Amino acid sequence: MAGTLSPERTARRLCELSADARAAVLLDAAGAPAGYHGVAPERSGDLAQLARQLFEAVDRAHRDMPGGPPEQAEVQVDGGTVYATRTPKWTLAVVARRNALSSLMLMDLRAVLGELETGAPIRRSTAAAAAAAAVEPTEEAAAGESPVPELGIEDR
Amino acid sequence: MREKRKGPIGRAAGLAEGVAATVRRMQREREPRVLVYDETGYARLVQPDGRGYERLLATAERMVELVDA
Repeated sequence: MAGTLSPERTARRLCELSADARAAVLLDAAGAPAGYHGVAPERSGDLAQLARQLFEAVDRAHRDMPGGPPEQAEVQVDGGTVYATRTPKWTLAVVARRNALSSLMLMDLRAVLGELETGAPIRRSTAAAAAAAAVEPTEEAAAGESPVPELGIEDR
Repeated sequence: MREKRKGPIGRAAGLAEGVAATVRRMQREREPRVLVYDETGYARLVQPDGRGYERLLATAERMVELVDA
């Protein structure tokens, strides 16, 4: 299907979606790297391995906790924050800036994985001010907004 | 009822309390933190003495270093 997100493009998509995402890696169900963005190709394997290790450590930490198995993790360290989310099919991990908003980053991770799995594109909205600025102002358009439109249209 | 006006010492103390609170908040924000979320989005804090905490921090630090390099 045209426009459907592929595993190879998923990490890039996440980094495009979020200004705070610096690098990302996608793993398949077997833990093999399926796509990456933001790191040199020779380092992508290391990033994938670390993403695998991250969820191994999450599962280890979870043994002492109540509730279901964790689907998402957030680890804040000095130079940045690592977020990761997993579904039965995929694991997506991202290295973000330290001041990234957790709720937004976790939502972006889920949204991108949802787009990958279902093919439904992420709905993005434009701020009303930005949308208005994108429209070139013309006299005709201004006249159309007038409460008495005929006053704004003159025969030339 | 109107609040009683603070004198110079009271104002200075209020200012110092504000600065101290800001410093505490900044220190807290810099501290390492590990959270895991279940499928409902419920967050749990992994305690520093919890199983896997150190490994999670070490792994995340290596990931950040890898991206910085």
